[in-house]
Amino acid sequence: MNKDVFAIRSEGQGVVRLSGRLDASQADKAKAFLASFSEPLVLDLSDLDYISSAGLSVLLVTLKRLESLGHTLRLRHVRERILNVLRYAGFDQILTIE
Amino acid sequence: MEHSFARRIDSLDDIFEFLTQAGDSMGVPTAVWFSVNLVVEELFTNMVKHDRQGSQDISLCINRDGDRVKLSLTDFDVDDFDITRMPEVDTSAPLEERRPGGLGLHLVRRMTDTLSYHYENRQRTVTASLKLHE
Repeated sequence: MNKDVFAIRSEGQGVVRLSGRLDASQADKAKAFLASFSEPLVLDLSDLDYISSAGLSVLLVTLKRLESLGHTLRLRHVRERILNVLRYAGFDQILTIE
Repeated sequence: MEHSFARRIDSLDDIFEFLTQAGDSMGVPTAVWFSVNLVVEELFTNMVKHDRQGSQDISLCINRDGDRVKLSLTDFDVDDFDITRMPEVDTSAPLEERRPGGLGLHLVRRMTDTLSYHYENRQRTVTASLKLHE
């Protein structure tokens, strides 16, 4: 698990893929990357292995910013363990999870 | 198993490395170790962020006790701050009322079996246990 370096990249057409570990040491990197998008966004989490509250805060800040611009933020291919964290935080009620 | 880590967020890589080794030696299922990683990260970053006057390393101790994993983090020469008495966040609030912050402790409460706090001689210790079977 410790070898899973966090990475974030655009796949074009409003899709961003996150992989590895999104922990407190990587949250600023993710937040800055996502701040460059002002369009409806889909986050593909198929390769995301881990997320903590710092990662959830990145999702929340990004969701609020996009919604204020009239855009949506959707998550897709969310792994079960990540989904559990999202549910514990009640994020399944405010985010569209495909 | 016990180890001390520099009180900065960048210590997380070393912490996860330590936890991976500890999990392997204790024979803890990967699924449970995900929760252990998360609980330790949240408690550690909480100490780094809230005990800014602290200058000493933070100590992490982790052991397996039957069907539970027990862990404790100790912060030295810091003020009293009982995280177990912090108010709960409302996870059913609408988006406009949601704020970053408080979620870490909420996740810790959800994922741990027991969570306790002790303060003595300017040492803060948070102790938690997690069940091995989800």
